[in-house]
Amino acid sequence: MTEILVWVLFAISFDLIFGYTGLLSFGQALFFGLGGYAVAIPILKLGAGTGTGLLLSVLIPALFAVIVGYFSVKLSGIHFVIITIIFALIGSTLGETWAWLTGGADGLVFTAPPIELGFFQLDPADIKSTYYLVLTVTALSYLFLSRLVRSPLGKVFVAIRENEERARLIGYDVQFHKLLSFVIAGGLSGLAGGLYTVALKYASATFLHWSISGHAVVYAIVGGGGTLIGPVLGAGLIMSLEHYLVNLLQATDLVVGAVLVSMLLFAPRGIIGILQGRRK
Amino acid sequence: MASNLAVAIVNGIVWGLIMALIALGLNLIFGLLHIINMAHGALYMLGAVAAWYFIELTGNYWLALAAAPILVGGIGLALERGLLRTIEDKPLVTIICTFGIMLALQQLVLMYFGGTARRIALPVAARFPLFDLQYPAMRVIIAAISVVVMGGLWLFLNKTRYGLWMRGVVQDREMAVALGIPVHKVYMWTFVLGSFLAAFSGVLAAPIVSVDFMMGREILIMAFIIVIVGGLGTLWGSVVTAVMISLIQGVGSIFVVPSTATVFSLGFMILVLLVRPQGLLRAPCSRTRERGPGSSWRSAASSRRWPRSPSSRTFSTRPS
Repeated sequence: MTEILVWVLFAISFDLIFGYTGLLSFGQALFFGLGGYAVAIPILKLGAGTGTGLLLSVLIPALFAVIVGYFSVKLSGIHFVIITIIFALIGSTLGETWAWLTGGADGLVFTAPPIELGFFQLDPADIKSTYYLVLTVTALSYLFLSRLVRSPLGKVFVAIRENEERARLIGYDVQFHKLLSFVIAGGLSGLAGGLYTVALKYASATFLHWSISGHAVVYAIVGGGGTLIGPVLGAGLIMSLEHYLVNLLQATDLVVGAVLVSMLLFAPRGIIGILQGRRK
Repeated sequence: MASNLAVAIVNGIVWGLIMALIALGLNLIFGLLHIINMAHGALYMLGAVAAWYFIELTGNYWLALAAAPILVGGIGLALERGLLRTIEDKPLVTIICTFGIMLALQQLVLMYFGGTARRIALPVAARFPLFDLQYPAMRVIIAAISVVVMGGLWLFLNKTRYGLWMRGVVQDREMAVALGIPVHKVYMWTFVLGSFLAAFSGVLAAPIVSVDFMMGREILIMAFIIVIVGGLGTLWGSVVTAVMISLIQGVGSIFVVPSTATVFSLGFMILVLLVRPQGLLRAPCSRTRERGPGSSWRSAASSRRWPRSPSSRTFSTRPS
């Protein structure tokens, strides 16, 4: 369950950039992995607390998202997809090379110190409290995003997705808004990575690989892009599907791929689209 | 040192030519269908795996080299007909769709072929001296075969009716339809040809690298890099870039750690994307669907993927 919630958070952060702003980014894994390291390295090397780590797991990926985004949003369409893949690839290559810092592909194993929240204590070593921690953070992020996409800023994002040229002519700074959306999504992806690391007590360079971003893409598409509840449903459904299938046959990816392709062909608006269509 | 360098250079050229075949397939599909085929690496892997089975059955590498690409071409045919046909006009959707195909194909191979890497013995065991080292002759043969296939592709595109149709569709799709070219058939055969090329290079690469279900992943990215740097839609550029990049990586990794060389080539690639998104070997105007309407008509007239006669400009249906 905890894992599903983490992927839910990752999927909705991706959906902000893909579903709302219309940028297909395969580079979210970079921020996801960075978020993981932003938790693991300070705890392991500097003796920082878990709370500080999670805070860093938002800030550091967001900072990187500013840099990566600054270059990436200059490009659009296919070129944008490819440049985000390349940035993620550089990240994972460096992550594997700098083993003294990142532990390479073997990763870093650590124990997360408990979080002191005034009157009560949250111990990440306990599965239940980790679950509640992840649940709270994911729910808060969901509320934040649903507020965001209904705000004027969210409307600008949608305007860019619908017609970039027109949004520019109306007078919006398209590049800035794309960057902003990229940075918010990057920060939240980082948070997802941070939580994942706290839950697993493990951070690895494999989290940086661009195909990790594929998970978010699948969840968002299957659930329904351009809505927030869609990726939540998508992540929940696919993850539980995977959990059941793993016992039946080893080929989870096969089913996931098949589900993805058939969704694209028959229900391009995802589960949400199907539900809405039925209501009408 | 001299022999190391020589081996690195020859290796670079051999590998570059194999990469060029992969990139050509990817580029062909992009130039015509405007599909970024994420499953291309998986098709390459499928070619190598199919070759392994053929060799197990018949023990003949050359038979596998002929049969495996045809098999994978058939798979490509099924994919294009069955899946991609309906979404061909939505570039972003096709990226995600081919990503799904990639996942499914990889997993299928994992299921039946297993996760362990396997080797294919060199079909030509002969070696020849290169400075003071013995160099396997097979690699040179592989390079020669790649060149022959590229020549064949060139002849196909420039001398046959189908090639003419393909060039026509690339230049101006509406016009091609108006002139009675069966555009959907051309799309289909282009995808088949691309799959064929991917699988063919997979079989060629199989004796050099080990065959496993993940072998397509890194290759896919390399092929992307090559296609982008060389210019999307510029076939000749892909060949030059492929050889250039693998030479740089090969020779570079003598002097620095291989991963540093990779990072540098990736950084170089980002620079190319930012400064010359149309690719290195191409006129400064590119014709990509995502571009604004302002830039696309201008480039349609001035960019030349393949040679075109000046008169076709007069009849262009695009608004100017």
